[in-house]
Amino acid sequence: MKLAAKYNRVTLIASIIVLIFTGVIYYAVIHYILTGQLDRDLAIEEDEITAYVKTYGKLPQAGSFKEQKVSYSLIEANRNVERRYFNNDYFNESEQKVEPGRSLIYTVQVNGKRHSVTVTKSRVESEDLVRIIFLITLSVTILLLITLLLINRFILNNIWKPFYGILLQMKAFNLADKNDIRIESTKIDEFTELNAAVITMSLRVKQDYRELKSFTDNASHEMMTPLAVINSKLDTLIQTETFSDSQGELIEDIYVAVGKLSRLNQSLLMLAKIENNLIGDQETIELDNLIRQKTRQFQELLQLHNINLKTELANKQINMNKHLADMLINNLLSNAIRHNYKDGEISIQLNDSQLIVSNTSSDTALIADKVFERFYKNAASEGMGLGLAISNQICNLYHFKLNYAYQNLRHFFTVSF
Amino acid sequence: MKILLIEDESSLRESIITYFTDEGNICETAVDYKSAIEKVNIYNYDCILLDLTLPGGDGMEILRGIKKIKKKDGVLIISARHSLDDKLDGLNLGADDYLVKPFHLSELKARVTAIVRRKSYDGSNIITFNEIHIDTQAMSVKIGDNALTLTRKEYDLLVYFIANHSKVITKSAIAEHLWGDEMDLSDHFDFIYTHIKNLRKKLIEAGCKDYIKSMYGVGYKFENI
Repeated sequence: MKLAAKYNRVTLIASIIVLIFTGVIYYAVIHYILTGQLDRDLAIEEDEITAYVKTYGKLPQAGSFKEQKVSYSLIEANRNVERRYFNNDYFNESEQKVEPGRSLIYTVQVNGKRHSVTVTKSRVESEDLVRIIFLITLSVTILLLITLLLINRFILNNIWKPFYGILLQMKAFNLADKNDIRIESTKIDEFTELNAAVITMSLRVKQDYRELKSFTDNASHEMMTPLAVINSKLDTLIQTETFSDSQGELIEDIYVAVGKLSRLNQSLLMLAKIENNLIGDQETIELDNLIRQKTRQFQELLQLHNINLKTELANKQINMNKHLADMLINNLLSNAIRHNYKDGEISIQLNDSQLIVSNTSSDTALIADKVFERFYKNAASEGMGLGLAISNQICNLYHFKLNYAYQNLRHFFTVSF
Repeated sequence: MKILLIEDESSLRESIITYFTDEGNICETAVDYKSAIEKVNIYNYDCILLDLTLPGGDGMEILRGIKKIKKKDGVLIISARHSLDDKLDGLNLGADDYLVKPFHLSELKARVTAIVRRKSYDGSNIITFNEIHIDTQAMSVKIGDNALTLTRKEYDLLVYFIANHSKVITKSAIAEHLWGDEMDLSDHFDFIYTHIKNLRKKLIEAGCKDYIKSMYGVGYKFENI
């Protein structure tokens, strides 16, 4: 649920509760005040009647006029009538209908006889007043509520804009990217603080990442010299004496291991370089020609394993670094050969939008979301597990998409341009 | 040939000197930027082997210095920096070749030999080893007067062998020379055997002595008999 929606919901419920609550109180208070007013009017009437009785020694004439009605009745000596106010309905003679009224009943002594006097006043006016006041108040409150909702909807969205801006930037944040997070300035303190925090964080993360990368870079570089020494010493060693075949085998194993190590190192350096975007020199490459040239280079290996190569190459030009294009095709092809079996098949299809390399293999499907990770490899694989990681990085660099799929016992690698 | 080796790593320096110092090659060394600049300015060399990361300065500056005073010395950069930019910079500045560490000494020797041949004979492109004559321009091989047809790989192999004659050359060095260093080469060892077998057969059939010897399973040696 969006913050604004949540906020709206809470304010709406709270407002309605408060509104009902205050409405009830409001109604009761106004009602009480107006009833008090009526009661005072009735008391004045009582005083007038009492004064009349005192002056003239008789009751004034009973009757109904305007919104007021007075009636008398004789009461027996032993009965007691308490003075009280009460609500009742009475017949309004001028309006010719029954109306709600407020009455005062009390007793008066005239010539030794006790009379009960009932004075009734119409409540219609005060009821109307209460209703009108209540309605006006209600409509004002509802109007206020609607305004509040509208303000929330439009103003809040506007106020939150910088937040969504920074959210978008954070979603698009890429460690390897060169551009930093750019923030639109805002006058709201909280967002300024958030922006500052995000910028500081991204800078710190990038700094750490850079240091880590430069560490890898330096470590790989520093390893090259000792490797060169090992290699040259081995080269010198085999010139010196005669060796037995078994000693020769040992030396060859060392050579192979050193070769692997230096290739691994170079691959790591290459990865770091691609990630750092240090590859320049783009040129237009005839991809179909490059693939033909590469397949010629791999001809001997293909023949050795008697692998049948099917190619379907349409003319396709791409803009990229020659060395990286070389490396990409090399990796895809050598993988297809290495993981193939004798008398297997490799198919290369190139059209304007895709390059698809598929091969038969005794290996089962690879884990699709791990296949491009560094050092992911099949237990049986002799490779280093960096080839596909590099290929993927190369594709990322040029915004190509490299995908893996396993269908009909074949491994498919697809580069979408 | 007279060679100047500018390299600060002493073990590597020793190995290279040992490999190069025979049959009248003179190999001098410089261990830092300053001594390198001095030697380059005073003497002439057939080939200068230049490491880029040196104590006291950047090897590229030495290269600039050499080209500034218009020296004809061949320059081969040997560097741990496997960077395309460095490679291009070096070659643009006038270096003749660029070799990335770690390398095989036989590869270094072959490259130096090629540079020196191009530099010193000025147009003459003939390599001669006893009865074998190779025209590097036309890429043709003759045994005595018999022309020999070789495949590209066999030809490369022969030139490589002659540049490193009397040395044991390992199979990995040969594989790297023939197929480049980007692929995993253990697959290629079988092919080396085939190529060498074919080359040997062709040479002998054309009347050449059998100079190629297999050495303890590690590699081969091309040796005068």
